[in-house]
Formats: sequence, structure tokens, C-alpha cells
Amino acid sequence: MRLPFLQAVLQKSLLVLVGLFWLEVCQGAAPERSVVQIITFEQQPVWDAPWRFEAVRRMGGSGFVIKGRRVMTNAHVVSWGRQIIVRRYQDPRPYEAEVEYVGHDCDLAVLTVQDSRFFDNLEPLELGELPKVRSAVVTYGYPAGGEEISYTRGVVSRIELETYAHIGNRRLLSVQTDAAINPGNSGGPVIQDDRVVGVAFQGIPGLENAGFFIPPPVIQHFLKDIEDKHYDGFPNAGLRVTELQNPAYRSLLQLPDDSIGARIDGILPVPSTEKVLKFDDVLLRVGPYPVADDGTILYEGNRVSAALAFQLAQNGECVPLQIWRDRRQQEVSLPVYRYDGDHAGGYQYDILPRYFVYGGLVFTPLSLDYMRALGRGARETDTADFSYELYYRRYENIASARTEPIVLASVLPDAVNANLSVRGRTLVDQINGIRIDKLEDVVRAFDSCTNAQDLIQFVQHQGFDCLARTEVAKANEGILKTYGIASDRRL
Amino acid sequence: MMASKDLLMMFGWINRSMKCWTVCILLVEAACFSRAAESVAQMVNNPWEHSIVTIEVSRKKYDYYQPWSRRTSQTQKTGLVLDDRQILTTADEMFDRTLIRLQKNGRGRWWLGELTWIDYHANLALVTTVDAEFWSDLKPVTLKGEMPSENNLQIVRWRNGNLENRHAEFNQFIVREGQLSSVSHVLLEADCDIQGAGWGEPVVANSHVIGIVNAQADRTCIAIPASFINDILEAKKSGKFHGLGYFHFYWQPAANPASLARLKLAGDPRGVIVIQVPDRPDGGEQVLKTQDLILQIDGFDIDIQGDYEDPEYGHLMLENLSTRSKWAGDEVKMKIWRDGKPIDITYRLPKYDYSTSLVPMATYDREPEYLMIGGLVFQPLSDSYLQSWGNDWKHRAPFRLTYYRTESPDKDRPALVLLSQVLPDPYNIGYQDQRCLVVDRVNGQRVSRLPDLRAALDKPVNGFHVIEFIRSDSLRKMVLLAGDPQREATTRVLKRYGINEPLHFAPETEK
Repeated sequence: MRLPFLQAVLQKSLLVLVGLFWLEVCQGAAPERSVVQIITFEQQPVWDAPWRFEAVRRMGGSGFVIKGRRVMTNAHVVSWGRQIIVRRYQDPRPYEAEVEYVGHDCDLAVLTVQDSRFFDNLEPLELGELPKVRSAVVTYGYPAGGEEISYTRGVVSRIELETYAHIGNRRLLSVQTDAAINPGNSGGPVIQDDRVVGVAFQGIPGLENAGFFIPPPVIQHFLKDIEDKHYDGFPNAGLRVTELQNPAYRSLLQLPDDSIGARIDGILPVPSTEKVLKFDDVLLRVGPYPVADDGTILYEGNRVSAALAFQLAQNGECVPLQIWRDRRQQEVSLPVYRYDGDHAGGYQYDILPRYFVYGGLVFTPLSLDYMRALGRGARETDTADFSYELYYRRYENIASARTEPIVLASVLPDAVNANLSVRGRTLVDQINGIRIDKLEDVVRAFDSCTNAQDLIQFVQHQGFDCLARTEVAKANEGILKTYGIASDRRL
Repeated sequence: MMASKDLLMMFGWINRSMKCWTVCILLVEAACFSRAAESVAQMVNNPWEHSIVTIEVSRKKYDYYQPWSRRTSQTQKTGLVLDDRQILTTADEMFDRTLIRLQKNGRGRWWLGELTWIDYHANLALVTTVDAEFWSDLKPVTLKGEMPSENNLQIVRWRNGNLENRHAEFNQFIVREGQLSSVSHVLLEADCDIQGAGWGEPVVANSHVIGIVNAQADRTCIAIPASFINDILEAKKSGKFHGLGYFHFYWQPAANPASLARLKLAGDPRGVIVIQVPDRPDGGEQVLKTQDLILQIDGFDIDIQGDYEDPEYGHLMLENLSTRSKWAGDEVKMKIWRDGKPIDITYRLPKYDYSTSLVPMATYDREPEYLMIGGLVFQPLSDSYLQSWGNDWKHRAPFRLTYYRTESPDKDRPALVLLSQVLPDPYNIGYQDQRCLVVDRVNGQRVSRLPDLRAALDKPVNGFHVIEFIRSDSLRKMVLLAGDPQREATTRVLKRYGINEPLHFAPETEK
């Protein structure tokens, strides 16, 4: 009993020493010299009053120098940036940076710095491979709590697909580590053997010792994507794949009982996918990866969702598939593309929200950002209708789904609209008999009306309202002036 | 039926939850409270002590997440002695009852009681006992609809052996949905320092009972007015009461002159605008159309806010005209404005029933229904089921399920059945994590109610049960083996999970 205890103590001491020594070696290699501090002065729009902006906020983050005299960081570090300042290691001089490419779906961005002196004596960090689970990593960055660079050590806890919180509705490959990743670490490199094996990007509130970083396959995908000087984004085949473990279902499909194959239980309205695949097809292999009956593949020793096998392709590339259909195995090729059909259901960045103001009525597209702007004070009935429109209608009743659902966001008080029944936060169905499928329809509907009154109809039990057109024509300019709106539209 | 339905339903829910809380307090802190009650209002020879009794109701309580399990609960309420040896109280907590006991003078012996009449939608019940001795020193009261000229209301009840008599301040008469239904009718609102009211406590003024309390939120007590109760009891006696009726359409105020101009209304702004007319639950013809303006109902002018001048209560919302001495099946005369001219129409009030909603608001006096095969538990989707997510169920229950409450039933889909959970067994391997999935078809047959499901399961397809769920963001299809494997699995699951029967249907459902 005594010997193992001593061994354990010795081993622990050795680990600490090795760790210290390794840190010295790292300092010798000086990856921190290529780690930069990023200060972003950001200003977000007000989503329910889209011509207005929130106050400017100072946000801190990290980044690192990569090949091509660029700085890599997270998209969320530089989103809505009015000014981006980068600072070198132990160098007080501020350098102004610009976003060259940004991938909001994968939360990555590369920056350029006009002042070429910024890159003097800075070595770009090399990209490594996907780290192994249980292997040690060190994060570098400028987290909150101090001004100097910070290092935190941890091990790779697990590797799987996670929701990327920046966009909110995409799940990509992610690595969990117990190395502390705090606000300000975002965008900083995660280093193993002097190479970047990740970009620190998010944590989960309330979960201790769990930080997440973006692994090399996602980083490499992003860098390859921008080689043609345009960022397309990660492809989405639009498939909902479900496990196929019940023997009865396998028997019905006459599928061998070999634990291979997951069933397609739903297809989003993606024409390229609908041409190739059908409901109840069974995915046997995606690219080189066999698909297990629980819908996973084995990727670099990690069992992860088969969705990853599609995400490894670039936008527009074809993914070879082996499927089971009509009681036999078949080979097909599926072209995969970026999917924008659900963009309103995720957070949006850098493009100002669209709107149209008419008679003090503010129309804007329904979006997750708009819903967030309503805050906790929103009525349950409002947000329920919005949630259904954003997240369910396209699955349940595609025929009734709109390209861009429009809400009457608010009514700017004026004599011309003083007696309206509806005061905002309502989905618009029709205006002057024209079904509102997108914001341009609102403009067209008001422009083309020949009646003395405009008729605005809302969805469900929300009723309708009318505006006297001649009165609106007289009032429009004054309303814009009163409420400080430079233009009645941003289309 | 205005758009404020959800808000009011939530209000009702708060009241109910407060009541439960109060019952707990009563049980735990009885001694403490008795001192407070004594200090407030113990009265010797109080005129109400022979007219107010205590009603104790024991009832079955269900866990809809395990629909085969039963618990019990007990509630004490207040009853008001009427003529003909009847005791008036609210219907709340009288459902699924197993035992009713009555006590007079606030202490002593309990008598066995029995229910003689109940209307959940109106939230009213009558109780009696066959024991003549109980009635020996009780004095019936009459309900009086008139409002007192002075603001001297009192709320009275037995509490720990003493007659508690609390001063209340009249606020207003309002029209809102009842405690146990979404039928809107007139209610009396009063402020009072009483705690845990809402269980049938009489509101008295000038020696008359002017209502009984059916809900409380903070200091505000909501009472059912005496005139509403009287009208129902008289209609019941004369055989004219067929349940509450209601206006089965949605309207909005007509305060916008531009909207009235669009509808070509001549003269001063008035009336309300009909904005949605769903199919009638009784299949009858809808005489109203969207964009009709309702100008008068039963001779009462309707103003642009949707109010009329009630001779008894003053300004009230027009919804009250569906329950103002009118019952299901009765006719209501309306003057409307359609296509630029006035028209007189007759609107027959449809009968309110919980089952007319896609997701029934209540399933009183009915044990939870379910059907279990091979560990798959199917249940009707109802508010009772959703409430198994706890007090905050409107937020905690799955969004898609609660959103069905905003949708209307139709001929193809009058109700919903869901796969509520899967009790793990080798038979259902691969499906154990599936839950809360609304069923569309089983073996090719559309399923809206549990008997549909049972019939569909009798016709497997080539030895399989094919279960399709309503197209949404969740699983759409399951396949299971039919025949012996299914029966063996069902037997196994019953034994392993301690369930007595593989299904329970209410007698009404079997019809």
C-alpha cells in the first residue's frame, strides 16, 4: 500500500516539474509573442427600432498571427466593430485592424493590419492536428481580470458537435477542455506542441471547468473557404437523421442487422438534397465514414454526429453517399450548399436590420435578434407566435411559410395613427390585399393602393387596422423628423 | 371572446395556485391563524352563523405523467344555506370527488354530504345532506342582486371554529373568463385583507348576500355576483338552463375612424368589428362575417370599446350579453352593419364545452385516459396533461405542445393524441428517449382520439405497426412489431412498471 502512494506523490511532483519545464520551453519558442490583444469598440443596432443604435461598448478579446500577415480571432470578438485595435505582446502601441473575412457560422474571422510594422518580428503560428482526448493543451489570451497575457493549462475532455453560441443555430465540431476559458480569451490560440490546435471561443454558464475551442478541421475549412477571396460558409445538407436501432424498423426496410445505417426522418426544403435523397432512406456511409445505427460516425477516434461528414465538404462540393433504398444498397452523390433558409432563426451580424416606416408604423423582418430585443417584458402570446413562425412553420406547413415574416415592430405615436387597435409586436398577414412575404411587399402594397384607406391585416386573432392615406401622406415627413429617422426605409 | 384570453387564463391559474398554498398554510399554522382570526372578527350571535357552513371535499388527484397512478387531496370550502335544503358553493375542487362532509357552527360533528348539482363552466355547485338533524338550526338566505348604496361589504367564513368577518371594499364589476372556463361573464371585484379566500365565501352587504368569492390574487377577491347565480338557479328550476353559452367569434374595438370609414359606417363611431369567425362547434351556420360591425346586442348599444350600459352594473364588456339571463341554445338579437347598411340578425348561443377546444382546458370527473402498448404510452393532449410540468407549466412544458392551445380544431383533427413517453423495454429499444410526439396516423389511419388509435392498432400492416407523428421538428415515424411480440412486451411492461391495466378510457370516450 505504501509504495503506490509514494509512486503517486513522485509522479505528481514530476508532472509539476515537467509542466514548469515545458512552460519554460514554450516561452523559449515564444508563441505568446504571436498572440495579440484585441479591443473592439462595437455598436449594435436596436432591432425593434432599426434606425437607432445602442451605445458604443468596449469589448476585449484575443487573436494570433497566422500566415499571410493576418490575425485570426473569433467572429464574435469583432462583430459590429466600429473600431478594432490590436496590441502586440508587451507592446503598448495600438494598431488599427480591419476584418478581412468573417464566418459567423463558425465564429472565426481574420483581420488585416494596415501598419506593416505590426508584423515585424512576429512569427505566424502553425496549425496543428485535432488533439487527442486526454492530451494536454495550453490556452493563451487576454482574459478579463488583468492586462497581461494569461496562460491556462488543461486537458482535452471530449470532442463532439456543439451549438456555436455566436450564431445560435449551427452545430459544428468543438473541443471541450478543462483549461479555464474566460471572457477575453475568445479568439486566443490553444497550443499543443507549439502548434495551434484550437481557437478558444465559448463556455457554458454554470458549468465549471468546461471551456470550448474551435478545432483545426473547422479552422482549416474556414481558411480553405476564403482562398477564393469569398467566404461561403459551412454546407448544410438539410437532413434530419435519426437512429435506426429498433429491429422492427430494420426488418421493415429489410436492412441487415449489423448496427450500420441511420434513417433520414426529415429533409429541409433544400432542392439539391430533395433531388437525391428521400424520407426513409438509410445513410450507410457518408464520404469515407460508415454511419452507425445511432447516427454517428467515427472521426479521428471520436464518435460524433454524422452531420460532421457533410460539414467537411466545402460549399458546392459533392459528398459520395452509400444509402439503403428499396431494399438494396445504392451509391449516390449529394452536392451540399450553405443553407440560408433559417438565417432569421439565428443571430445576425454586421448587416443592419431592414425596415420600412409608414405613417409611424415600423415594419421589420421577424428575427431572433428582434425577439431578443423584446426582452422578458414581451407578452407570452406574442413570443409564442413569433417562435412558431421562426422555428416550426417551415417544418409543419411549408406552403404557408413566408420568405421573410414581417412584424409591425412598433407604432410611433402621431395623430395619424393614434386610434389604431394594434400598437406593434404583431405579425403582418396582408396589406391592401397583398400577402406580405418579405419587406419589399410592404412597400409595394402601400405604393400600389388606390383606396382612400390602407388596410393592414394581422395574423391569427390580431385583427386589422386602417390608415387614411391622405393623412399619412401629409404626416410621414413630420413623423420621421420627430423621431430622428433619417430615411423611411432600409431595404 | 377577445384576444385577452390567455392573460385571463393565466390570472385564473395564479388564483388557483394561491389557493393550494393557502390550504397548506392552514394545515401547518392553524393555531397561529386562529389567534389572528379571533382578534379580527369574532362575533357573538352573528346573523350569518346559521347560514354559513363548512364543506370538506376529498378527491382523487392524478399525475398525468403517470396516468395510472392516484393520489388524494382534501379541501375545505364555504357553503351558503339556501332554501330546499341546498347549500351553495363553487364547483372548484369538487371534481373527482370521493367524499363530501358538512360541518356547521365551525366546529364539532361532520355530516355526510352529497352533490345535487354542479356546473363547472359557471363554477357553481349545490350540496345537501339527507340527515334532517343537520338542518335543524340552519337558516336559509336569499341572494340579492342589487348593489348596496354604501361601500360596506363583508366576506364571511368559518375559520378554526370562529366566524371570520372581514371588511371588503368594492372595486368594480368586470367581465372576464370564469375560474374554470373561458366563458366571460360579470364578476364582482373587491379588496379585502382576508387570506386564502376563493372557496365560496359569501360577500355580504346590508344583511344580503351579493356574491360568493371564487378567486383571490393578493388583496383582490373576485366574486360571482348574486344576480348571475340567481338567474342560473331559477333557469335550472324551470328547466331552461342548458349550460352556459358564449359568443363564438373574435372582435376588436372600433376606435379607429379610418377603419370605420373603410367599412362605410355612416354617423358617429360606434360598435365593434368582427375579426374572426371560426366554425361553430355545433356545426350550425355562422351568421356573422369578418368585418361586420356589431352595433347592438339585445337592444343594448355597443360602444367603440365593446362596452354596453348594463342597467344593473353600469358599463360592461359585450361578452356579458352572452350570459345575461341567456343560456346555451338561446337566441340573441344583433344589429350589425354589413356592406354599408344595417342588418338585424339572430345569433344562437353555442354551448360551451371543454371538448370544443383542440386542447381541452379541463377533464373533470374523468380519470386520465391512456393506452399503453409495449411501453409506448399514448394520452390525449389536454391542459391537465400539460399541467404535469408544474406551476410554471406554460413555460416549462414543450413549446410545440402548449402552442396547440392557440390552434382551433377542425373536422379532420378535433383533438390530439400524443405519445407521452416510452417505458423502456427490449421491444421498444431505440425509441426510449422519444416523448411528447403528437400522433398523425397509425397504420395509415388518422388518429385524433384514443379509440381511433385502438382501432388502428387492430389493423397492423404486414405484421408491423407504423406510427407517424405530425410533421414538425421532431421524429416523424416509428415502426414496431405487431402481434405476439407486442402483446408479450405489454404484459412485461405492466408487470415491471407496476401498472394495472394497459388502457383506461372514460365511458364517454367509449361511446
